[in-house]
Amino acid sequence: MIRTFGKYARLLGNLARYTLTRELAFRGNFLVKVSVEVLWLGILIAFFRTVFAKTNTLAGWTEPQYFFFVGCFFAVNGLIETLFMENCNEFAELVRTGDLDFLLLKPIDEQFLVTCRRVDWGTAPNVIMGFILMGISLVQMGWQFDAVRVAIFLLTFLCGTIISYCFMLLLTSLSVWMVRNQSLMEMWWLFSSLARYPKEIFAGPWGAPLGFIFTFLIPILVVVNVPSNAMVRMLEPGIVLLTVVATVILLWLSRRFFQKALRSYRSASS
Amino acid sequence: MPIIEVEGLTKTYRVFQKRDGVRGAFQGLFKREYKDVHAVEGISFSIEPGEMVAFLGPNGAGKTTTLKMLSGLIYPSAGAASVLGFTPWEREDAFRRQFALVMGQKNQLWWDLPAGDSFELLREIYGIDRHDFRATLAELTEILGVEALTRQAVRELSLGERMKMELIAALLHRPRLLLLDEPTIGLDVVAQVAIQKCLRAYHERRGVTMILTSHYMRDVEALCDRVLVITHGSLVYDGPLSGIVDRFGRFKLIRLEFEGTPPDNLDRYGDVVKHEGPLAEIRVERSEVAAVLGSILEQQTLADVSVVDPPLEEVIAKVFKEARAENDAA
Repeated sequence: MIRTFGKYARLLGNLARYTLTRELAFRGNFLVKVSVEVLWLGILIAFFRTVFAKTNTLAGWTEPQYFFFVGCFFAVNGLIETLFMENCNEFAELVRTGDLDFLLLKPIDEQFLVTCRRVDWGTAPNVIMGFILMGISLVQMGWQFDAVRVAIFLLTFLCGTIISYCFMLLLTSLSVWMVRNQSLMEMWWLFSSLARYPKEIFAGPWGAPLGFIFTFLIPILVVVNVPSNAMVRMLEPGIVLLTVVATVILLWLSRRFFQKALRSYRSASS
Repeated sequence: MPIIEVEGLTKTYRVFQKRDGVRGAFQGLFKREYKDVHAVEGISFSIEPGEMVAFLGPNGAGKTTTLKMLSGLIYPSAGAASVLGFTPWEREDAFRRQFALVMGQKNQLWWDLPAGDSFELLREIYGIDRHDFRATLAELTEILGVEALTRQAVRELSLGERMKMELIAALLHRPRLLLLDEPTIGLDVVAQVAIQKCLRAYHERRGVTMILTSHYMRDVEALCDRVLVITHGSLVYDGPLSGIVDRFGRFKLIRLEFEGTPPDNLDRYGDVVKHEGPLAEIRVERSEVAAVLGSILEQQTLADVSVVDPPLEEVIAKVFKEARAENDAA
């Protein structure tokens, strides 16, 4: 088990190294990508600074709490984009051209190779920026260190990232049947749009049922809300437990679905 | 014990039939028509360790589909196969560690990086010992004559050089079974011969079992002792290359050299396929060779005569053509 984990970690390290070499070879493209991401966070912060100039709270979140939430979203989203997004995006093309053949021939877990073979270094700064923003927010709110909260934050942050990965894998797997899967990006955009706001905005006769659905049935709202809440607002053991259980179920379900999809792979003619 | 045993292997694809025009496209949104395409139909054969076997067949005959089922890339619709003692489509790591598939029309190396980096990554994936890796890489680069090219970006290599790198990538983990799907496609004659020589040399050194599909008869003649001919997904011949002529060549060629000018009415003996100066070639049904030859010798004055088989490529082309015509008629 430890040997296998070591092997995969080493492999991930090598894949990351090679993709960095490749990205740096096209440094213009790399620098533009990084600049766009930094600019995007800057615009987002400026927007919410303007909003908080008019109000003290937003859906019950104070300004530093909300910026912690934004930082957490940026870190989760950044991790997904850096590690998996490009790979999952390319999957439909691999299916269409039949180049998936080479990945399936390797004596290694197919899911690992399909979803982790490239690291998109251009979006990696988002993760760092997300953590910096979270750090600044904690200082601003005068947060007192609490080991339990930190541990639960780290656990639920990991769960949130895994849940996002599972949703992405489920969407990606559809490519095997759809062959052309440009809708993946649109569905992912919908997913990240739901995850990027506090769950309290889902209120009222229309909002509340949606909030329920996206918390308990399709648990997108737990991805950023639960770790942020656990760290800077109230610690709810029930929802933390739900997040952990949802993570385990989704990991199992998305893997089964991916394997089922591979069984239907037709391998485009050469 | 055979390294590959195949029994009744079948693959049927359900293919969407698009209707013509915009109206048809809209109709297709609600109601779709599908057609069953039988890519492989109940193929059975076995291959012993160390054999070099060719799959021959026209485009769409089912050669590549068979290779892909043997390598576990696609699931069969029916039938069974055992490759290296494993069921290929279960894709166990222990199975995938022991074979390699090279596809002439696709590449597995990273386009923007030197081939050496891809080799290093493969070392990690296959868990090859560093010492063994260096020894194998040195051996393969020497056989293929590409020692100086492993640090050059793959996109900057010629097609022939890239194919050699693909072969190295496939052989680094020392597979016991090598599946080659048109490995020399698009290469010039020099590069084709170089690849053939390397494969032959590697086979002699390591005794690896090879299955090859190719449209170039030269590849098949240079490498394979045994041939499986597949048409419409069915196996129609399994035996030595030379046996194809006996099995499918209904005709023989009678080569004649006349003393003086040949007569004009040679076509009464059979199909005249060549008529230049004193030389002529007549195609005659096998069963009639003795009788026709008897008449010619009786009626003509000859300087030389011989009876030969028609060229192998011609026989195979005829087999494929007849198969296609039967398919079109069906």
